[in-house]
Amino acid sequence: MTFQSYNEANHAITRFIERGEGEFDQLAFALHQLQAKHVPAIAALCQNRGIDSATLDQIDQIPAIPTTAFRDMAITSIPEKNRTSHFESSGTTATQPSVHWHHEVSLSLYETSLIRPFQHHVLNNHVWSGHILALTPPPAEAPHSSLAHMASQVLDDGTIYAGKWQNDGWSIDSQTCESACAKAIHENAPLLLFGPAFSFLNWLDSTEGSYELPNESRIMETGGYKGRSRELPKNEFHGLLSERLGVPESHIVCEYGMCELSSQAYDRKAGTNKERAFRFPDWARPIIINTETGAPCEAAETGLLRIIDLANVFSSIAIQTQDLARSIEDGFELLGRAQAAELRGCSLNLLQ
Amino acid sequence: MRDALPNYFLLDTQPKARLTPEVVTEACRQLKRNRAQYLRDMPTEEVITHLSRLAENWQDDLFPFRKMALEAEPTITGFSRPSLAHGLDRFFARITEDNLHNLIAQELGDSRRLDAPLSTPEERSDNRLAFACGPELIGHIASGNLPCPTMMSMIQGLLVGSAQFIKCAENAGWLPALFAHSLYDTHPKLGACIELAHWPGGKSELESPLFDEADCITATGRDETLASIRARLDSRRRFIGYGHRVSFAYIQKDMLSRALSRDLAQRMAQDIASWNQLGCLSPHLVYVEQGGSVRPEMFAEMIAEALDSLEVTQPRGDISPEESGTIAYKRDFYDVRSAGAGDVRQWKSEEGTHWTVVFEEDPVFTTSCLNRFIHVKPVGDLNEMLRVAEMARGQVSTVGLAAPKNDAEAIVKQLAHWGVTRVCPIGQMQDPPLGWRHDGRPPLGDLVTWTDWEQ
Repeated sequence: MTFQSYNEANHAITRFIERGEGEFDQLAFALHQLQAKHVPAIAALCQNRGIDSATLDQIDQIPAIPTTAFRDMAITSIPEKNRTSHFESSGTTATQPSVHWHHEVSLSLYETSLIRPFQHHVLNNHVWSGHILALTPPPAEAPHSSLAHMASQVLDDGTIYAGKWQNDGWSIDSQTCESACAKAIHENAPLLLFGPAFSFLNWLDSTEGSYELPNESRIMETGGYKGRSRELPKNEFHGLLSERLGVPESHIVCEYGMCELSSQAYDRKAGTNKERAFRFPDWARPIIINTETGAPCEAAETGLLRIIDLANVFSSIAIQTQDLARSIEDGFELLGRAQAAELRGCSLNLLQ
Repeated sequence: MRDALPNYFLLDTQPKARLTPEVVTEACRQLKRNRAQYLRDMPTEEVITHLSRLAENWQDDLFPFRKMALEAEPTITGFSRPSLAHGLDRFFARITEDNLHNLIAQELGDSRRLDAPLSTPEERSDNRLAFACGPELIGHIASGNLPCPTMMSMIQGLLVGSAQFIKCAENAGWLPALFAHSLYDTHPKLGACIELAHWPGGKSELESPLFDEADCITATGRDETLASIRARLDSRRRFIGYGHRVSFAYIQKDMLSRALSRDLAQRMAQDIASWNQLGCLSPHLVYVEQGGSVRPEMFAEMIAEALDSLEVTQPRGDISPEESGTIAYKRDFYDVRSAGAGDVRQWKSEEGTHWTVVFEEDPVFTTSCLNRFIHVKPVGDLNEMLRVAEMARGQVSTVGLAAPKNDAEAIVKQLAHWGVTRVCPIGQMQDPPLGWRHDGRPPLGDLVTWTDWEQ
């Protein structure tokens, strides 16, 4: 199977996402072949490593582009004049952000990819009748935040946005949060809270208040702390959310996503108590790579997380993250970020 | 392995036995009693003899404690056996009777100044004598993965006649503890003036009794850690803080002749391999001046060949998935960079993450992810290097320098004014001499208090 054009690839992948038509590996190889022709960085990488894109037979052989390469170069097949929008990683001002370029078609595919898994895991496939509080700025204020864009797609018009855009990120207006909580309690209508972990912490650390949110209230939290708040181990963070907001742990859902990907993983379906494990939708597959050999890890062995994301049609299908992970059941568990030894040793970390 | 050793130190009984503030206080007081009884009045000569003999033993393959260190699982020591043997040999070879005498003389003007009031010729003309005393109890907040700085602190403390309580960093106490055991075994009275323990950094209920009992605290760590310790000490206590530092190398173009460069690359590789590059003195990157017979890129390739050979004699050994993951990720990144542009090249061990050399035309200062991962960058001249390294200014310890003798002095002066506190030949970056002034500070001079006696 090969794709003659991006148009054809886009249609085939969309059919796979929407209707499950086609076979993952074949689509992956065909898409990679197309990208190896049209994305200069992937073409050069294949040539440099002597990879013949037409002869791959394992998806882990598809050369992966490391996330930081999105900082340095345009990992995209979209010609410069057609790039209408982009998402940026939320790093600090000291580091250049990663940039994932989009145009209308790629954005539409991105939206197709993100809606269903969100509805499945966070809303249990129901129409949400309660209130929504997003700990992000309104999407118009943060056009390059993939999370704010996601909010605009999956949340409804009545969403209250508590984030205020500032030059290098956003701050949280705790009064907005508090009045949203008070309103939900007053009306006894469940509240859906949506945002990055650091925003939750910034808010909760700035006030003393605690709430007993109505039944069926839920939280979707995502991402690490990125030096924007104090850091807490996941279970303590969830404990804090439960204690301060009255949302049981069963109703706290973690999302794993990044601007370099077009698909997201979730670690549980709201309201269930199954052991947490991140799972991608059918059109994205995690591969955990042995850090010494570069081959896929044995079950439960710690390695670097790589993702084959079919929805990354116009950039790179294979993304190498810096996250350490290990497979559990049919998903994976995140174990932190592979960080330079200097953080442990006696040398300092001047820059990353 | 630890079961083979007697329980002399708190660290020996941890984590089974829980530390309490009372235990720390009592340990400090006992140390001070032992010091008054055994160490304070011990002639310096005798301390030197014991220490130099001990160091000699540590270089003997039959010495039980050395055997224990080298027979330990690399996961405990953190280093492959040949690498550890190499590092220990280079460290203990410096602890000789002559070097110890010279260290005290360098610091105090005369090696007997800790035994009795004496005068230097300058003081004599002023008709006075002076006597130096070490602190009663030094508390060391040790850090890092390398055993040498901790062992060196212990040796320096003993030289000035101080009892010492060493708070080891997590998983970094095994070798210093083994050294302390060897001291105890050789000379129990000296060993009785040392205590080692571990607790998580910043645990104030255990640190406070140490800070109350000790009259001098030394600490190695991040600037914030040092600041927080300093803030908790009352003004009567001496504080010596060593912040995190980076080191790099500078190769002047005249040293890049075909005859010299291969040997230079081998010595450079040794600096990278020593203690797996994990110390403050290990190079993060190598700046190579353009215009020599051997181009900077070619020199990078020579370093790669030398690292490959060293992997046979001093293998790096296993590292954690976190560390190797960083290397694997960075390699992928530079792979993409080198594929896309002609200004980046990467050499790496064929299997595993054992060594990596990245050559980049862009001279901007870069820190390495360590564990034998080195950046090589060309620069026009020394001025350009100092310009691009500006972001590291004030945080640089050592510059390994290869330059012709005639030019070296001017370079060293320029580096000193820029803020570098140590310049050494390539191949010796991880082997500072005994008299090395850590962060530009006198190693014993900072510890002692003087009593002047005017006549």
